Amino acid sequence: MDFPALIQSIQASPPAQWMRTSLAAMPVVEAIHVLAGATVFGTILIVDLRLLGFPDTRRPVTRVCSEMLRLTWIAFAVSLTAGALMFAANAHTYIGNTAFRLKMLALLGAGVNMALFHGFTFRNVKSWDQNAPVPLAARIAGAMSILLWVSVIFLARWIGFTKGFDFQVPVNPHIDFQF
Amino acid sequence: MSRMSSPAAGAALVAAATAALVAAVPARAHHSFGSYNMAVTRVVTGVVTRVNPDANHLQIFFAPMAENRKNVLRDAQGNPLIWAVEMGGSAQMAREGVTVNSFPPGTVFSISLHPLRTSDSVGTAGPTGAIFRCPWRKPPPPGENCDSVPGSVEIGRGGLLKPTG
Repeated sequence: MDFPALIQSIQASPPAQWMRTSLAAMPVVEAIHVLAGATVFGTILIVDLRLLGFPDTRRPVTRVCSEMLRLTWIAFAVSLTAGALMFAANAHTYIGNTAFRLKMLALLGAGVNMALFHGFTFRNVKSWDQNAPVPLAARIAGAMSILLWVSVIFLARWIGFTKGFDFQVPVNPHIDFQF
Repeated sequence: MSRMSSPAAGAALVAAATAALVAAVPARAHHSFGSYNMAVTRVVTGVVTRVNPDANHLQIFFAPMAENRKNVLRDAQGNPLIWAVEMGGSAQMAREGVTVNSFPPGTVFSISLHPLRTSDSVGTAGPTGAIFRCPWRKPPPPGENCDSVPGSVEIGRGGLLKPTG
């Protein structure tokens, strides 16, 4: 299946139709997406600020991570599900929207940043877990994480104000305009 | 003075939020038609090229038909001109019968619209008036609209609006 056909089948799927035709589905799912997204950003921000040494280094990094990141993952799964439903409802428009594409790129960047942090920097956390200066790599990871997640939020809002009249979409060549 | 316990306060908050949510579901409500020239009404018949089922405003993109109703208006290169008309949210419009499935590409339809103040090729269906969908591949006679074609479907009430402006 080629990419346009895949997008078409997503938009034609029963969950997508439900999202388009139910009066309550979109506002409720969107509210859940926002609530879960706020939880993702809030919990990650606490970890990121600890990596930057705010407010201090008394709380062990390992403890902050284990307390917060469990909640982050649950909220992320909820947010992803709600976001996928919103995407499916109008997949053609979202996939062509620049703000949406940049948001996906920022999400990917946040994921790579997190993977690098946990794969390398976090391995020797014992030496800087508590009452010790945070290594530069970890501080960079924290700052990058905040930057990328703030970008995700800004771009997400941008989508809503840029997916208006799009005359750039090519006309389907199979339409017969002669009668 | 007694204070609500926190579970009760939480329940009250959820109830209030739910009530606000239900009350917020609009019936063809709209924030503003300010960007459209509502004093001008045009009646157009066109061929659907695409439906954008946006949650806030469903949009139908279409090629306006020539007066002879045998073809569509084209630019100097021979490509169809594309106009667009915006209406209520996709869920609201689905209740009235306008969906990506009921208006597939190639559908002939007539609508009264109010153009944007800045562009003639974009309009809003506005709060009143109906849309007429012609039977498949059966356009109206020259100069006429789908409301004159036997077997056409009226969506909404009150027929096509009278052209003004």
